[in-house]
Amino acid sequence: MSIFDKFGPLSDLYNSILEVGDDPFSVCMAEILSPTRALIDGREVLLAGTNNYLGLTFDPECVRAGQEAMAKQGTGTTGSRFANGTYANHKALEQALAKFLGYQYTIVFSTGYQANLGVISGLTGQGDTILIDADCHASIYDGCKLSDAETIRFRHNSPEDLDKRLTRLGQDGGNVLVIVEGMYSMFGDVAPVAEIEKITHEHDAYLFVDEAHSYGVFGDKGRGVSEDQGVLDKIDFYVGTFSKSLGSVGGFAASNHPEFELLRCVSRPYMFTASMSPANVASVLEAVHQIEKRPELRQTLWRNSSRLYDRLHQLGFELCADKGPIIAVKMPSREDAVTCWNWLIQAGVYVNLAIPPGTPNATSLLRLSVSAAHSVEEIEEIGEIFSRLAEMRRDAMPTSSDASAKSPLPV
Amino acid sequence: MPQEDHDLVFQKTCALLKVFNVNNIELTKDTDIATELEIDSVAILDLIMELEDSYDISFPMNLMSELRTVGDLVKSVQKLVSEK
Repeated sequence: MSIFDKFGPLSDLYNSILEVGDDPFSVCMAEILSPTRALIDGREVLLAGTNNYLGLTFDPECVRAGQEAMAKQGTGTTGSRFANGTYANHKALEQALAKFLGYQYTIVFSTGYQANLGVISGLTGQGDTILIDADCHASIYDGCKLSDAETIRFRHNSPEDLDKRLTRLGQDGGNVLVIVEGMYSMFGDVAPVAEIEKITHEHDAYLFVDEAHSYGVFGDKGRGVSEDQGVLDKIDFYVGTFSKSLGSVGGFAASNHPEFELLRCVSRPYMFTASMSPANVASVLEAVHQIEKRPELRQTLWRNSSRLYDRLHQLGFELCADKGPIIAVKMPSREDAVTCWNWLIQAGVYVNLAIPPGTPNATSLLRLSVSAAHSVEEIEEIGEIFSRLAEMRRDAMPTSSDASAKSPLPV
Repeated sequence: MPQEDHDLVFQKTCALLKVFNVNNIELTKDTDIATELEIDSVAILDLIMELEDSYDISFPMNLMSELRTVGDLVKSVQKLVSEK
């Protein structure tokens, strides 16, 4: 018996996907032409699945800051934050984020994944309880696994269900940490953070909000869903990533709790990994300023999102959430999703494919993320390609009196 | 709540499992939840939430590693109910 035998069913599924066409899970971008275009398999493809919400990956100021930092400070830190891997710019970035968000303390981690792992496993331990929204990201689930606390799920975006489970727990849960995301990465739906904050604190629990997809995107100043719903100053632990609107890699956590800095001495994902490279830190520091200085980036993002959302809606696609920069198109089956994904990349647009196992309610999705860097023409081009997809699917449907032929596409 | 006997918890669990039993296989206490029912990891967690509400218990995800069969699930529910 091989150590790989347990992956048999997964391997069968993977092979069945490969039989349809390209491998959706190892797309190689041979050349990145801009925040919205790349060469894939020798073809120029329009990118509509990068989470590059503000298009800052090619911002001249961010690129210049990264280049200068690499020239002056080297290619890497070769050490963890806990040892030799904290440079002046790591501290400057922490201070800039704290000031922008209005928190007293901020800790920078090497990735967004590690920020979640590091804060969750650092804060909670044996005798504590974590309540997580059922649709939370894998990094949150993994952070709970790394902790010795007991983990309980509550129904997605349901403050009532959270209240019920906190009540059920009573006084038996030790310190209780409630975890939600600002905007959920798969469907793009937004959490009722204000209601969840109220319930969490009524039960004397702590609230952790992961704003990975919403930092720079929501709120008057781009400080996320917590700002948008007026509770930014009431969040106990605010976590974010640098790999989406900030256009780099890394993550952070912010808090007003006076003992928060202790995490630097107890959080293993902070202590036992190399810190962010100087170039990454410098480009993120510049991106934090760009987001603060240029609200028009956010306005363009929302205008683009609205335009594409309306187009896909008019075409009859079933969309999983309200208007926003993540547009998740629900597909009737895994096979359909894989076929359509292949069709789209051949037609010249890259989107993300999300299929079970592991997706909420076993849903199959074509997931688009919009960027402020998309031109109006590019948004129209994506819409046009989806219009052809809808046509292709309509043609493929039965023309008899079969009831399914009357339904809009592809639902 | 008076404690339900093993058979009754088994029947209730089977009723909740019905929506996940797409191949309609006969459920016994030895049925392997992940492999025989082909339930993915998220669906098992959804089932746990249903059981929590049915029995008014908190069922930590940490216990998942001990669950393989429907019988294991029934035993865990009974234990959590008895500890209430």
